[in-house]
Amino acid sequence: MTPRDLARMSTLALLLTQGVNALSQAALLFFLGVGLTLIFGIMRIVNFAHGTLYMLGAFIGYSLVRYTGSYWLALVLAPLTVGAIGTAFELGILRRLYRRDAHAFLMVTFGLALVTGEAVRLLWGSDALQVPPPALLSGVVFLMDEPFPVYRLFLMSFGIVVAIAIWQLLERTRLGLLIRATSQNAEMVHALGVDVKLVRSGVFGIGCGLAALGGVLAAPLVTAAHGMAATAVIDAFVIVIIGGMGSFLGSLIGALLVAFVQVFGNYYLPDFALAFMYLVMLLVLVVRPGGLLGKEA
Amino acid sequence: MQKPNPLPALGGLAVVCLLIAAPFGLPVFAMTLLTELVILGLFAMSLDLMVGYANLVSFGHAAAYGLGAYASGYMLLNSSMPLPVVVLLAALLTGGVAIGVGWVCTLATGVSFSMLTLAFAQLLYAIAFKWTSVTGGSDGLAGIPRRAGPFSITIFTSKTGFYYFALTCLIGAYFMCRALVRSPFGLVLRGIRENEAKTLVLGYNTRLYKITVIAIAYALGGLAGALYAPFAGFANTELLFWLLSGQALIMVIVGGQGTLIGPILGAAFFMLLEHQLSSYTEAWALFFGLIFIAFVLFAPEGIWGLARRAFARARAPTGARHG
Repeated sequence: MTPRDLARMSTLALLLTQGVNALSQAALLFFLGVGLTLIFGIMRIVNFAHGTLYMLGAFIGYSLVRYTGSYWLALVLAPLTVGAIGTAFELGILRRLYRRDAHAFLMVTFGLALVTGEAVRLLWGSDALQVPPPALLSGVVFLMDEPFPVYRLFLMSFGIVVAIAIWQLLERTRLGLLIRATSQNAEMVHALGVDVKLVRSGVFGIGCGLAALGGVLAAPLVTAAHGMAATAVIDAFVIVIIGGMGSFLGSLIGALLVAFVQVFGNYYLPDFALAFMYLVMLLVLVVRPGGLLGKEA
Repeated sequence: MQKPNPLPALGGLAVVCLLIAAPFGLPVFAMTLLTELVILGLFAMSLDLMVGYANLVSFGHAAAYGLGAYASGYMLLNSSMPLPVVVLLAALLTGGVAIGVGWVCTLATGVSFSMLTLAFAQLLYAIAFKWTSVTGGSDGLAGIPRRAGPFSITIFTSKTGFYYFALTCLIGAYFMCRALVRSPFGLVLRGIRENEAKTLVLGYNTRLYKITVIAIAYALGGLAGALYAPFAGFANTELLFWLLSGQALIMVIVGGQGTLIGPILGAAFFMLLEHQLSSYTEAWALFFGLIFIAFVLFAPEGIWGLARRAFARARAPTGARHG
């Protein structure tokens, strides 16, 4: 091979490595964004505690791995626990606020973020905690002489599986039908004899659970730390704003866009990486104020 | 027609007199707390201009505070301008930047607006970390002096003198805001708050009004930050962090939005509670979050709203209670 061919090879390999990084990052961001957008679509509320619940997922995941020794168990139980907390919060507090304006929700969920953040600090301390990936996923594989962490490949495929599962849930099941109908016209669904309140509690729980799923999955990559809440909530909002509030496909596109901008921005211009994400969001808002697939301005 | 009630004006005058007399009766640590309270009160009041009067719920008001603080800190460290000039310039700079921010953020409405303000504040936060030559990076700016002048006036260098300066700023800003919200401009803002579409149809360029009020609110928030830097002697990235934005919003809601006075009380409540709780428990934010949730649920009109209702009840003839 000529040196030129070698250079071309390494560029290709580089794009491939960074591409895998971006896709695995997109999977994490998708879990965050899709939960937020489902909640918004059906309840017209913005969950400010989303990032904190993501963090809570990571910390619960840490404890489960530590005491049961099974990452797979943590992957199932942590989202269920956080989902249950979310449902309880909806039943206890959010339910009282449906007659009030949207800002009441924003503030009450901000309160939840404060409380949860502090509770995590009390229960787990202030240090970042290492979560080892399961042995099965901890190695690397070589593709085109480039090492790929198995865990990132796993994240990528897991993201695809979950995305298809949610899509099928929304399109093919009765629950999905109820969710879509409620997001379009809750009163009509109620008039048809469906308990809309129950749908709302359920969807809020599912959304919170998805955030926690993202948190557990992120933990082996970035450790369970307090800083992850603020980053996560902002990333989630950016994704949902880019994709359009309440749009499932929008959150998928938003997650991919943000992940690629973050990963490639970090690689080529690390000093400006953070600004790129906001610039993309700005561009989208200038062209389409309601987001790429959103209906409302 | 009700006769104008002299009680609030007299009460206000009494509070101002107490604040002026405070340095003569309070110990030093209490004065430090009171100065910070005055500055935070100004900050919360500036946010109320947006939240309470135009329904522009900003989740990034720390941007104004931090920008004002960094600007005033940088100028005090790197120029020989006297303190009041620096503080004023920092406020104006913040207001100027806010015109751009307002232009962008008002592209969206409602929740997207809140998130855009948050995104902008986080962007500034990131810049403050990276632009080390100006902001000092993660260390921030330290050793910010309270310089004497102009005309060799040395009053601002002392803690008491600086307190009076901050108090003057707060009272001046309060009367400015009060005049503003009672003016025709303020009425248009209320129109936007109640129903933006109708206000637009009535022929008002609502976006222009929104950008204007954002610029004024940021300038006043910047003024608060510009006072904080020489008060504390430092400016760091904490001042731009989203937690501060959230806290400012809490002060506005807990105090009573759309009342100007309420948020100042909210700031006082916040600071005193933090001070008290943190001496009992490490986990003060936990209790604070719970208290905040309780306010949103059970007293949406805030402390000032509760107080006003109590006044009205006391004034009403017996039996004539209205709910």
